[in-house]
Amino acid sequence: MHPINWVIIIGYISYVVVDGVRRARGTDQLEGYFLANRGLPWWAVGLSVMATQLSAVTMIGTTGQGATDGLRFIQFYFGLPLAMIVLGVTIVPLLRGARVFTAYEYLERRFNAPTRSLTSFLFLCSRGMSCGAIIAAPAVVFSAIFGWDLPAAVALIGVPTILYTMLGGVQAVTWADVKQMVLIVFSLFAIVVVLLVQLPVSPDEALRIAGTTGRLRTFDFSFNLTDTYTFWSGAIGGFFLMLSYFGTDQSQVQRYLTARSIPEARTSLLMSAYWKIPLQALVLLIGVLVFVFYVFSPPPLLFNPAHESAVREHATEEFEALESRFEQAWTVREGAARTLAETPRRDPAAADAAAQFRAGEAGVNAVRAEALDLAQRVTGQTPRDVNYIIPHFVLTFLPIGLAGLFIAAIMAAAMSSISSELNSLSTATVIDFYRRWVRPDGSDRHLLLVSKFSTAFWGIFACFVATYAVRLGSLIEVVNRFGSFFYGSILGVFLLAMIRFAKPWAAFFGLIAGMAVVAAVTFLAPSISFLWHNVIGAGTVVLVGIVLSAGGGRRQEADDSLDIDWRHHHAE
Amino acid sequence: MNPEPGPDSERRRLRRTLVRVLIVQAVALLLLWIAHARYHVT
Repeated sequence: MHPINWVIIIGYISYVVVDGVRRARGTDQLEGYFLANRGLPWWAVGLSVMATQLSAVTMIGTTGQGATDGLRFIQFYFGLPLAMIVLGVTIVPLLRGARVFTAYEYLERRFNAPTRSLTSFLFLCSRGMSCGAIIAAPAVVFSAIFGWDLPAAVALIGVPTILYTMLGGVQAVTWADVKQMVLIVFSLFAIVVVLLVQLPVSPDEALRIAGTTGRLRTFDFSFNLTDTYTFWSGAIGGFFLMLSYFGTDQSQVQRYLTARSIPEARTSLLMSAYWKIPLQALVLLIGVLVFVFYVFSPPPLLFNPAHESAVREHATEEFEALESRFEQAWTVREGAARTLAETPRRDPAAADAAAQFRAGEAGVNAVRAEALDLAQRVTGQTPRDVNYIIPHFVLTFLPIGLAGLFIAAIMAAAMSSISSELNSLSTATVIDFYRRWVRPDGSDRHLLLVSKFSTAFWGIFACFVATYAVRLGSLIEVVNRFGSFFYGSILGVFLLAMIRFAKPWAAFFGLIAGMAVVAAVTFLAPSISFLWHNVIGAGTVVLVGIVLSAGGGRRQEADDSLDIDWRHHHAE
Repeated sequence: MNPEPGPDSERRRLRRTLVRVLIVQAVALLLLWIAHARYHVT
């Protein structure tokens, strides 16, 4: 990579760390360190919410998915806007009114300590591992394209993030998120402009070529529980997933707990309601345009450079034969694409041109499938190279400077998610466990010190998971699957909290029943999309909770004065 | 200190926000639908 690109990347990292350390001033108390004294403006909180959700996986994985699968992934987010509005009138006033540090802290006030501890513990297990996976995704790609050792790539992303999160607390996290979000959006628009300039066909013709392969299929109205990317899975399953993620996951809850007031917290969430779908469409569109770009410019047979050099070294003849066939197939497809672009839409020959192009596309895909198979045999690793499509385009075809900016944006996307997660992991550890069970009378100064150590601990843990992520692959899958058992169930506990007659132990046993039912569904009907697990989990907890609460006994053991009536809580 | 907004003004504000969000989503979905209808070939 050109030295100017490296200067941009190093400049970006240095700036983020220095600015984060500068933000450490004024965070000498626990409320300042974790919640910025509840004084941040809505727009900064809103950008932080969006930056937390948008990770490096979005920048390299989702764009790659756009290139191979098209726009249909957008349906995943169809439930998000409504979820944000619902959270704005339910969870936001509930948690803000309770003046809690963590979402789970509220559950002790409403129900009991075991419910709080269990939900917080589940959050720590799941987020601790997922934080490692968030570092691993870009680190694995960087190590392959730059030829670095994986630990070095992990350290490049992880160490600066741990530093500014540990020293600056939520102030550093939020203001870094703001700048990182600006960098991400700018680089996304820049890449679209470059693509449109470099494509040899008009945007209309480019979309027509992509549409011929089904990549502009945005809506699928079939009702199929096994398919994640349909209108109904996104609108219903996605609605419950977004309610869970933004309403009960501390990594997001903590963002809007830092807002100045309930209306500002609400508005910060609505920023995602307005902009998430358009932004995600832009990300996927970049992938679609990169696909069209490679229709006219020869792509590599394997996008993962580490796999390519391994295969070239260990199966030279077989790979060269495949490359030769790939070149022929690509030439046929390119010719068909030019014919398709030159044939007017209403021309009787248009259908034939489209069929020719689709046949050419099938030919290219067939050789690619053989090459991926060979890569798997040689390396013993998963040959999937979707995550390498955009980095290859960026490093090969973007102008000097812009390539560095885009790599910095990938790092920014990773760091903005990791920092929020480390910050929230530390909050849950200190508030829900250390201060609750170990040192309830600890001074602010002592708890602040523990919080910083806790942030560093989770950061190092995440780096460790990321470094061994390839070897821990199956373990991470187990953890992710375990996570899907309780995500909807925790939402169910919060829904139950809004039902006045719900009893403390009903919530606890409802949570366990919800997780058990989702686990049973996962094993007995593994083909059902994980989006529906959230609906099943939340529904089971509410149902079981209501039945157990109706069973008699005392209404509530917890302090009733803390039972906030969310329906009448309008402002602080 | 600003006076707290009353329930009625909160409700009106929420309704306005709901309408705005729905309009933005409707426009975004309409654009996606146009792309789907114009370019997607089965």
